Amino acid sequence: MSAAPAEPILRVENLKTWFELGSRVARSVDDVSFDVRRGETVAVVGESGSGKSVTSLSIMRLLSPPGRIVGGRILYRTQEGTEIDLATLPEHKMRGIRGREIAMIFQEPMTSLNPLFTVGDQIVEMIRLHEKMSRREARERARRMLELVEIPAAARRLDDYPHQMSGGMRQRAMIALALACDPRVLIADEPTTALDVTIQAQVLDLLRRLQAELGMSVVFVTHNLGVVAELAHRVVVMYAGRVVESAPVNELFERQRHPYTKGLLACIPTPRHGRTDPSGERPRLTPIPGSVPNVAALPPGCAFAPRCPLAIAKCEIDPPLEFAAPGHLSRCWRHDEV
Amino acid sequence: MSERPDILLSVQGLSKTFPTRGGLVRAVEDVSFDVRRGSIVGLVGESGSGKTTAGRCVLRLVEPSAGRVVFDGVDLAALPARDMRAWRRRMQIVFQDPYSSLNPRLRVEDIIGEALDTHGLARGGKRRERVAELLRRVGLDPEHARRFPHEFSGGQRQRIGIARALAVEPEFIVADEPVSALDVSVQAQVLNLLQDLQKAYGLTMLFIAHDLSVVEYLCDEVVVMYLGRVMERGPSRLVYGAPRHPYTRALLSAAPTPDPKAPRGRIVLQGDIPSPLDPPSGCVFRTRCRYAVAACAATVPAAEEVAPGHAVACIRRDDPELNEPALSPAGR
Repeated sequence: MSAAPAEPILRVENLKTWFELGSRVARSVDDVSFDVRRGETVAVVGESGSGKSVTSLSIMRLLSPPGRIVGGRILYRTQEGTEIDLATLPEHKMRGIRGREIAMIFQEPMTSLNPLFTVGDQIVEMIRLHEKMSRREARERARRMLELVEIPAAARRLDDYPHQMSGGMRQRAMIALALACDPRVLIADEPTTALDVTIQAQVLDLLRRLQAELGMSVVFVTHNLGVVAELAHRVVVMYAGRVVESAPVNELFERQRHPYTKGLLACIPTPRHGRTDPSGERPRLTPIPGSVPNVAALPPGCAFAPRCPLAIAKCEIDPPLEFAAPGHLSRCWRHDEV
Repeated sequence: MSERPDILLSVQGLSKTFPTRGGLVRAVEDVSFDVRRGSIVGLVGESGSGKTTAGRCVLRLVEPSAGRVVFDGVDLAALPARDMRAWRRRMQIVFQDPYSSLNPRLRVEDIIGEALDTHGLARGGKRRERVAELLRRVGLDPEHARRFPHEFSGGQRQRIGIARALAVEPEFIVADEPVSALDVSVQAQVLNLLQDLQKAYGLTMLFIAHDLSVVEYLCDEVVVMYLGRVMERGPSRLVYGAPRHPYTRALLSAAPTPDPKAPRGRIVLQGDIPSPLDPPSGCVFRTRCRYAVAACAATVPAAEEVAPGHAVACIRRDDPELNEPALSPAGR
């Protein structure tokens, strides 16, 4: 992993995406800010209800009602160097961005693949939507895309329908479709979560290689800290709709500045090659007590406080997201004591 | 495998085939392993490995097609179905999905109480007391006995499922992916609970999972399955510390570790898991194995012991090429 260049290509600023459910409001994304630089992989990590997926759908403007962006900006820097705000961009202009500038892949490949068309036709359609190109040229490019994602016998596979492919291959076809127009940003929402571990390893290797070769920026949304450690340059940790910590990957795994991140890491059994300690006892995990809160019924102040071992009276006041160290943000009053 | 008294469960040559329109699916094929009293044995594998079907055959929730399931000296697979009820009191199951495995129309006290009723274990006030005690034991508030499943979080529901399994005081529990539907922070709570209960009641457990680190954490022994067959089995210490089968090695090296500085000696397996409708001849792993030779297609390799209790189903298990230190996941 090389050092990432400095220029941000995507800046999410104070994003608020809320779901109005009758009289209640679920603040699924509440005042979320982070940058993605060119050629950088930023992992957005969180558990269910953290708002990580809603953040990515907001960037793509793929929210379905009652979800809606109620505040903040999503600034995308175009090739010409001007910044446009995707949060307020009219839908017809957004269509020129989706797929062409920013593409997205999902956990479930059938979210983006149409079961009624062959994989080749779908890639061709995507290319011709954004670029002036003959069918023949587009088909040739589609074949190269399938080769790029390491689908064997690519020329033959162009005529496959999605159901004729295995799960791992469908995932690759979806990646080929997403990358067909050479997007500058790829948003990957749990793309390996449903895959078996040996297939996940193949897809992670592929994504890492493509990111480096194509120089894309990647926003990788996941709940899996192992995947984060393998892929990310920087990490944004979300909890109950907010960013609670953000740091370069090595820094984050070495020294956590938020009790939630620290707790999350302590929950994962780490490989110990079947060792037991000398007493013959298995080491115990240190779980976080309680469960993830409902974003439609959050307590005032820090949302993590009810589960936090460091909580104090002051935590009833919402802590700001502040620098705890250079390049390392934490939303915790006690970030120095974590 | 002799039926030593410290072996509570001995699975011998277990097979299960399902007829489908596309032909026979060999979900489980000639699977054998022992579970010692008071131990936790992990059954790991990817999708299509047959781990779930094997677990259900053990309880006869699915009828085995062949083989023996010897529980405390008696072959359950040979018993008439009506005789199983008495045995079911001694063996219970915890399911993966805490949403679909609890009846949404029953109150928690009846979800747990039903098991007591079935086996005539407690009635009236005794039943209420026992339910309260079980809820307390799994870390839930006994006051919540009158609530319905939807009023609980995923982790709490899984605790209810565990309390239901414990209600009849079983000796043996099959836990089928009991934490994989849970958030990471909640997963650890349930793993600790399972471990505490196992110790407190001296339970014997068959723990089915696809998450290798969870199995390593919890289990004394591991059985690694692929496409219906056992590839390797043995003490966790050996299978994780010194894996011998190429599949086990690839599987261990494929799992991402939460440490960005960990060296990555990853073995990336080519291709997909073959269809169980049409498994490869000979060794079922050979189509993805970088060490496969012509002989691998000819015969199904038997699981041979390479150390006491550590068996590997690979004809090249002793070949030096397979045992290059560079490939050991210990160097991850």
